[in-house]
Amino acid sequence: MPPKILIADDEQSIVVPLEFLMEQKGYQVMAAYNGEEAIEKIISFNPDLILLDIMLPIIDGFEVCQMVRSNPNWKDIKIIFVSAMGREVDIAKGLALGADAYVTKPFANAEIIQKVREVLDTNR
Amino acid sequence: MNPFNKFWWFVAVSAVITCMMFYYVGWIFWQQLAPDQKTLLISIIERNFVYVFTAVFLIMACFVFVMDGILHVYILPAKKLTDETHIINSVNPSHRIKIEGSGEIIRLAQAINEGADRYENLRQHVDEMIHFARTESEKERNILAAVMSELSEGILICNSDGQIILYNKRAKQLFESGSDGKPEQNVQNGLVGIGRSVFGIIEKKLLVHALDEIAAGLKEENKNVSSFITVSREDKLLRAEAVPVLNHLKQFTGFILILEDITEKLEKESRFDSLLLSFTRGVRASIAGIRSAIEIVLEYPDTKKEQFDEFTRIIHQESITLGNMIDETFFNYSCRFNSMWPLVKMSAGDLVETVRKKAEEKPGVIIHYVKPDLPCWIKVDTYSMITAFLFLLEELKNETGQEEFGCNIECNNKFVIINITWEGNPLKIETFRVLDKKIIRIEKEGKPLILKDIMKHHEAEAFSFVDRNAANRSCIRLLLPSTGESASENIRNLTILPESRPVYYDFDLFNQPGQVPEMDNRPLTELIYTVFDTETTGLNPEEDEIISIGAIRIVNNHLLRDENFDQLVNPGRTLPFESIRFHGIEQHMLQNQPSIEQVLLRLFRFAEGTVLVAHNAAFDMRMLQMKELSSKTKFINPVLDTMLLSAIVHPAHANHSLEAIAARLGVSIIGRHTALGDAIATGELFVKLIPLLAKMGIYTLKQARDASQKTQFAKIKY
Repeated sequence: MPPKILIADDEQSIVVPLEFLMEQKGYQVMAAYNGEEAIEKIISFNPDLILLDIMLPIIDGFEVCQMVRSNPNWKDIKIIFVSAMGREVDIAKGLALGADAYVTKPFANAEIIQKVREVLDTNR
Repeated sequence: MNPFNKFWWFVAVSAVITCMMFYYVGWIFWQQLAPDQKTLLISIIERNFVYVFTAVFLIMACFVFVMDGILHVYILPAKKLTDETHIINSVNPSHRIKIEGSGEIIRLAQAINEGADRYENLRQHVDEMIHFARTESEKERNILAAVMSELSEGILICNSDGQIILYNKRAKQLFESGSDGKPEQNVQNGLVGIGRSVFGIIEKKLLVHALDEIAAGLKEENKNVSSFITVSREDKLLRAEAVPVLNHLKQFTGFILILEDITEKLEKESRFDSLLLSFTRGVRASIAGIRSAIEIVLEYPDTKKEQFDEFTRIIHQESITLGNMIDETFFNYSCRFNSMWPLVKMSAGDLVETVRKKAEEKPGVIIHYVKPDLPCWIKVDTYSMITAFLFLLEELKNETGQEEFGCNIECNNKFVIINITWEGNPLKIETFRVLDKKIIRIEKEGKPLILKDIMKHHEAEAFSFVDRNAANRSCIRLLLPSTGESASENIRNLTILPESRPVYYDFDLFNQPGQVPEMDNRPLTELIYTVFDTETTGLNPEEDEIISIGAIRIVNNHLLRDENFDQLVNPGRTLPFESIRFHGIEQHMLQNQPSIEQVLLRLFRFAEGTVLVAHNAAFDMRMLQMKELSSKTKFINPVLDTMLLSAIVHPAHANHSLEAIAARLGVSIIGRHTALGDAIATGELFVKLIPLLAKMGIYTLKQARDASQKTQFAKIKY
């Protein structure tokens, strides 16, 4: 069973290539375009990893991360923040809230694939 | 004429007239004698010539003795009595007459002294009343002066002729001090000082243009401020704002220049502008490449594979370039993220300690605080950060029902982390979301201040989470940027109100008459003086050298103690032992001092456009003259000598040394035989001599110089 990845981002131009890229690498992929939808998809899709944007409508990425980390059923879900907020304080906050990695936009495809692999590997 | 000489002239003339009268009476008597009587008289005189001659000589001697007695017992004491009464009435009311003379003169002196005692007591009483009445207004003016001293902008206040009548410390720094804090020695630049011309430091054309603009604005009553950019001595760009000062009739009496060093600000702006420009250019170029390539791919789907690959390579390459460009710009621009709030450097420990104390009172929360091993430095606006902290604690207390919280501080090279922890459930996400946007207080402008804003201004973040490293304690974490090691920065000097106003605080010069090139006819009270003194290796200007120069300025009849010149000089030779005993300056003190040539250049600048004053000026001027060639400075300023001026006002006194005049005029000398100490004492004497000269009808510089020339001391040459 291939690992499942949830892509939570409101920018279609980011979601579409990422979806394509992850499918090409053999992952099972689902997308969400706001924080609320992301929570719903986590419940229904039960992903192994979330590629999570911070500036999401309705519920922001930090809050989604907090919700995931506060739910013991979701303790094994990996989170990678993928954000255009590149200040060091944002990265520090993201990691403090329990994210496993933080990737700033723009990123290279190879970089994000590498990060996803690393994070998923730590589970095994 | 000297009273001594005058008296003897009078005696001599009286004696001659008396002799002539005797001779005439004798001649009439001789004419009435018969020839045999004449022969008899001649023979009697010849026989008793010795007795007759002795009698005449004794009479003459008695006459001279009596006259001398009259001179010393009546005439000179009377003259001294007059002089000293003038001193009591004018410059030194504490002076008392102690003279030797006849009983009548001594009783008269006693009567004058008694009168002086009563006058002095009365005057003291009046002075006390005036002093008491002035104290309050003086305090306010002192506060104004002290505040001006601490302003970050330079302030120059000038009268309508461009004479500086008030300045603050910052203005002096902007135009004078170098980075090493020492005054610049370049003669081309003017100095900042009371009575000095502002045109010496700011280009005249610029100021004239600004003043014209103000004058035009005043006429139309629409604009009355003019701004311009000028350059300081260190090539710093200064933004100057000229504001007019009007009298009650709305007439222009002067102007205020507010000066701000904008060099750094402009540099930042220009750096940012060029950053933005290059970013825009770069983005346009990359976007152009991507757009063109992608449009070709879309419009021509049948493109050959090699060409298709080339276009996709271009798109890929340009997107990488764009990404790099954004990273680079973000990095360079990050310095501008610093908020405009005035942030103060302090240790996180101190911040928490303050919060701990305040929190006990309100909201009634106890904080158990673990002090970190190292001081973790942060930059905060203390008031808003403490307010935010207390707000969080109050909300936490309400939400959790707890009244005790833990607090710990961690720091690394990037962040200072402050954790507020408690046992029990963490704050709900929704609760913190509300809390993040809850109004903490309303600012003056009516703008609500929320936690998120305070954090944003500090480049900080506050968030709630469960700290798995701390036994799953619930936690609110504050992430603040760390600011490195040192503690103090931009600490201002304490403002200590001076007992009396700083001397550069003087508005009276607004009423000064226009600058008249002809100094000679100006009243002595209106001129600007440089009072100076030199200490030398000896008393021979041909051989000896200057080792110290002290000078001080007198403007508007006031001694400006803050504007002094005090410089030791390396004479380039060994000091004679006797001179060391005299002035206390030792050889080793002069080793690293500048040469006389360098010092005279600075003194020349200091004294430019003023009247030089010295005690026994002939000696000091000669010492300066000896260095004219080597220093290329020629002191052409008019000169006044306090020794000669004292001889004018007190001709009956034989002693006109600095100490003697000081004792007469009630001036105490501090630092006698230091150049600056003597210059200050000379300056004080000079200020007291001016009203005494006025009583003798000497008002102008020319009159003072002419009268000086007539005194016997003027004949001393060096």
